[in-house]
Amino acid sequence: MIVAPVQLRAGMATTTTTSAPKAASPAAQADAVVATHGLTKRYPNGITAVDGLDLVVRRGEVYGFLGPNGAGKTTTLRMLLGLIRPTAGTANVAGGTPGTPGSLTKVGAIVEAPSFYPYMTGYDNLRLLAIYCGVPVKRVDAALDAVELTPRARHKFSTYSMGMKQRLGIAAALLKEPEVLILDEPTNGLDPQGMADVRNLIIELGKGERTVLISSHLLGEVEQMCTRIGVIRKGKLVAEGTIDELRGSSTLVIRAQPSDQAMAVLSGEVGADKIQLTDGGAFTLSVDVARAAELNRRLVQAGVDVSELRESERSLEDVFMELTGTESGL
Amino acid sequence: MRALSGELFKTVRRPAVWVCVIGLMAAAVTIGYALPWVIETFTKSAQGLPPGTTLADFKIALYPQNFVRQTLQQWSTLGGVFALIVGVLLQGSEYGWGTVKTLYTQRDGRLAMLLGKVGAMAVVVLILAAGLFAVSAAASGAAAILDGKSVEYPDAATIAKGVGAIYLIFGFWALFGFVLATLFRQSAMAIGLGLAYALVIEVIIFTVIGSLGGDWVKQIQQWFPLANTGYLASSFGRVSLRGLETGGVAPYRDATHAVSVLLTYLVAFVLICSVLLRRRDVTS
Repeated sequence: MIVAPVQLRAGMATTTTTSAPKAASPAAQADAVVATHGLTKRYPNGITAVDGLDLVVRRGEVYGFLGPNGAGKTTTLRMLLGLIRPTAGTANVAGGTPGTPGSLTKVGAIVEAPSFYPYMTGYDNLRLLAIYCGVPVKRVDAALDAVELTPRARHKFSTYSMGMKQRLGIAAALLKEPEVLILDEPTNGLDPQGMADVRNLIIELGKGERTVLISSHLLGEVEQMCTRIGVIRKGKLVAEGTIDELRGSSTLVIRAQPSDQAMAVLSGEVGADKIQLTDGGAFTLSVDVARAAELNRRLVQAGVDVSELRESERSLEDVFMELTGTESGL
Repeated sequence: MRALSGELFKTVRRPAVWVCVIGLMAAAVTIGYALPWVIETFTKSAQGLPPGTTLADFKIALYPQNFVRQTLQQWSTLGGVFALIVGVLLQGSEYGWGTVKTLYTQRDGRLAMLLGKVGAMAVVVLILAAGLFAVSAAASGAAAILDGKSVEYPDAATIAKGVGAIYLIFGFWALFGFVLATLFRQSAMAIGLGLAYALVIEVIIFTVIGSLGGDWVKQIQQWFPLANTGYLASSFGRVSLRGLETGGVAPYRDATHAVSVLLTYLVAFVLICSVLLRRRDVTS
């Protein structure tokens, strides 16, 4: 069995060993830019979209908020922005209660699709937001440059493609030069080149002190952008950690015959508790992969035929599917 | 001030707002002056009129001395419909476009944003009211000049009171539309219900229960908006044609009552909006 040093929440059906939920350390709490405690949203129709969520996003992180559709990601982000009120629990974003000026001044956000006034140009939409935020209008040009939208800035928003709308949304989020960026599926609707551009932009934005909280169900982009990940399922945080922590350590896969003799050799070398026999007849060893050559030599010396010996690394997709019970990217 | 500046910035750039403003002014000139003048000038038939009276005698209502009362009586409800549409558009479109999320994630709280929006709407309604009076004054002057009559406008105080009255009436309708759009979080339902109320509902209610007779109907009606816009418009008097009043019976209540009731509605609408916006989730 693989023991992942990941905070996994109780009640999860997963083959990964679970550990009891741990509260964030005092140091992490002190450095928290986004923190929720028992955050819950229950709708009058009985649906609990978010259920007792304890989330800590630390300063300077690019935090990936992963979950399948309907898991509660957008509802959580809406609560963090004060667009909807929690039924229970508390949240603190950038030192203030969500939705209050104390919090909003430090937060830039896109929630769901970027929404702007269709009869105004992209430039005027940003000027409008600059007025609302009380920031210098000269920042508009810089924000448009950052998302490479300057050539189309004087065109009406209604004429923009989905990709341009998304980029304008990011420009709008940057206008305040916020401490925290909250981005809800920012690559939605983009073509591959657009997705790559936005990914690179977010990686750049995440450098330094700025904190980025990004929700997605696209594992590839999260893997490339995020320093830490939280996985949400049915409104509950089911795992949290760095990508490496979520994946767990690499393992060795060995296929050898006769298998009972191979088992005896390997048990003697690494201990039976670190060996798992898969359905396909291969052995999975939770050991340092640097021992591959040594174990191969021992098996051959014992007269065992080794037909396969490789390092196996769980993908984030495997982890996601285990945690959420869904296909990735759905 | 940030919220008000922002709201004004986007409102003056919105074509639909100017369509309403220009539409009302065009209607005031064509329906209020041009068509009546053409009909009353070129129609020779006097059928159904009192003996010795021709249609041309009614043109006195089109001349400058009557333009304040004429404007109020003609446009307090019909012009109010334009104001209602403006109110619905300014709020309802935010839900339709999803910009309400953008709006409430900037800097100021919801109450400040509401006051900014109401302030911008007040400016648009003032343009509607002043514009209506300006084009009516010009059209009435043109009618008098075309007919070789003297161009004598009411005194400035009367004109100012008239603009104030129509501003209050339009303000009521605009905020009524605004509160409906906030309540339903959309434009279509708000415009439908608002128009139904302005043109049908209150009239039908009091026509039906009025048939029962008794002063108690008027006691109730005096607190309803359409009745009070009527009282206020009628308080400027009616056009007198050879000693005959042309505007029907005298209003049941005076202008002070009407102004008080309409102002109460305005305050109530703002309070309702502030409660709805502060307590409700922006999106479901």
